[in-house]
Amino acid sequence: MTLLELTDVETYYGESHVLEGVTLSVEEGEVVALVGRNGVGKTTTLRSVLQLTPPREGTVEYRGEELVGLETHEVAERGVGWIPEDRRIFSQLTVAENVRVAVPDGVDTGERVATVYDTFPILEERRDQEAGTLSGGQQQMLALARGLVGENDLLLVDEPSEGLAPQIVADVAEALADAATETTLLLVEQNLPLALDLADRFYVLDKGQVVDDGETADVSADDERLRRYLSA
Amino acid sequence: MTASALVAAVGPLQHAAESFAAATMQLGFGEGLRQFLGPDTLASVVVEGLAKSAIYVMIASGLTLIFGLMGVLNFAHGSLTAIGAYLGGLVMVTFAASASGNVGRIALFFVAIVVVFALLTAFGGAMEVSLIRPLYDRPPLYQILLTFGITLVLEELLRMVLLFYDIQPSTDWLEAQGTRPEIISKTHDVFGLGVEGLEVFQILLGVAITAGVWIFLTRTRYGLYIRAGSEDGEMAQALGVNVHQAFTVVFGVGVGITGVAGALLMWDSAWAASIDLGAEVLLPAFVVVIVGGLGTFRGTVVAGVLVGFVDAFTTELFTSNIVGFSALPELFIFLILVGTLVLRPQGLFGVEEVGGH
Repeated sequence: MTLLELTDVETYYGESHVLEGVTLSVEEGEVVALVGRNGVGKTTTLRSVLQLTPPREGTVEYRGEELVGLETHEVAERGVGWIPEDRRIFSQLTVAENVRVAVPDGVDTGERVATVYDTFPILEERRDQEAGTLSGGQQQMLALARGLVGENDLLLVDEPSEGLAPQIVADVAEALADAATETTLLLVEQNLPLALDLADRFYVLDKGQVVDDGETADVSADDERLRRYLSA
Repeated sequence: MTASALVAAVGPLQHAAESFAAATMQLGFGEGLRQFLGPDTLASVVVEGLAKSAIYVMIASGLTLIFGLMGVLNFAHGSLTAIGAYLGGLVMVTFAASASGNVGRIALFFVAIVVVFALLTAFGGAMEVSLIRPLYDRPPLYQILLTFGITLVLEELLRMVLLFYDIQPSTDWLEAQGTRPEIISKTHDVFGLGVEGLEVFQILLGVAITAGVWIFLTRTRYGLYIRAGSEDGEMAQALGVNVHQAFTVVFGVGVGITGVAGALLMWDSAWAASIDLGAEVLLPAFVVVIVGGLGTFRGTVVAGVLVGFVDAFTTELFTSNIVGFSALPELFIFLILVGTLVLRPQGLFGVEEVGGH
């Protein structure tokens, strides 16, 4: 079943035309990687889904429902989660408060939070600490925890390995692989081996357009098919 | 600079110098200082300091909530306080005859502040939705000009209503002050110390309101949403928080608290209900908010206490015992502001960069 479908999406920042007719789809249960050089529109694609930067043209359907025109919190309420590029944890809130704020209304907060702490024990140890004082790796764990605690049906994950030490990247990859067993992921990732390892399918974005797509099983990270779009 | 402009500029300085020269040594420095340091005087100054702190925290709370969580500098704050004072006074004056005795009058006052809070919260919410919200994406100057414009409109509307009902807008509304119950009007003997009932009432109400706001922000789910939304509104929305709704609630509650502070000031002859109350409140409220750190409620509480105690001590020191120079207490309050801006521009608890929305 198609969970998310973007059709001919045109998105602008002011007068700057960023997405020029992006069309892609994500099936329920799969992991889809969105790859491409810096500045080609990957993050904007995720923002267009969330209606943070609403498309001017085209459609964004989630479970067959049009998202364009909804408020961002209404998109989130439908089960779309976001783990943003620069983590964007609430630095002045404690770790526990960062996690709690992501639990939807009317849901047993304690149970959800306990589940996430099982996955990230370091966060439980630091639950009363201001999130802004965590290390970069711990902040990424918190951002992941915040994305997972909402038990969303679709998680939009933006550059989860950016700026992290290799060991932390491995931990993040493991957490995402675990998440993928229960949640559908649309993953933006510059680390091509990591993206291809996690994803079932990929889309290559260049200059605001989808220029290639396929199964990750059919390509490797040094494949010429990908390198021509990804090398600087 | 023309000669007349020079005279106009020098005039106030000359007047201040003459006042200082004429300052009377009422008791002589030594005797005055001995009295000032005596236990009775110190104790009464501490009680007065606490009462003033409660007032300063209350008049600044609404301002800091709205600025800290939404980034909106609400210049209409003062006139909303004045409206709160008149609304509270209206309830008291209208029903005072049917609420006799200490208990009846205090109960009526609590009814009055509930009415003031409800009406001004609703008004603040409507103001945010209809006027403030369209300007969030504009530079802060737009919000300042808008709220300044609102204050002019509110003041003139209030003046028209007061004149229509034959209440002098520029002088204290004494009829409202007269609704104070006896227990609050008189001075009580506490362990041999004279304590004014109004001061105790102000302290208790100030503590209750401060605790209420604190619990709302730190112990409720909605408070959590508000703090998250104020730090990163976009992220909070992406987590399902209706940030627009949260900001409407914050603006409404901020205005509601402002009105409650006004209702309390209505009973205090040092402030009282008048149109001028708006301007009288606005300046110290800004001082407290800036000294505490723009947007931090904790900072506002600490700065309110600091300013309240400095005000009480300097008032006692410079107007009662040693030197009669009534402008000095106010001068000291502004010295705190200047010192803070020079030494720690972000305020006592402020962060250098405030998250927007």
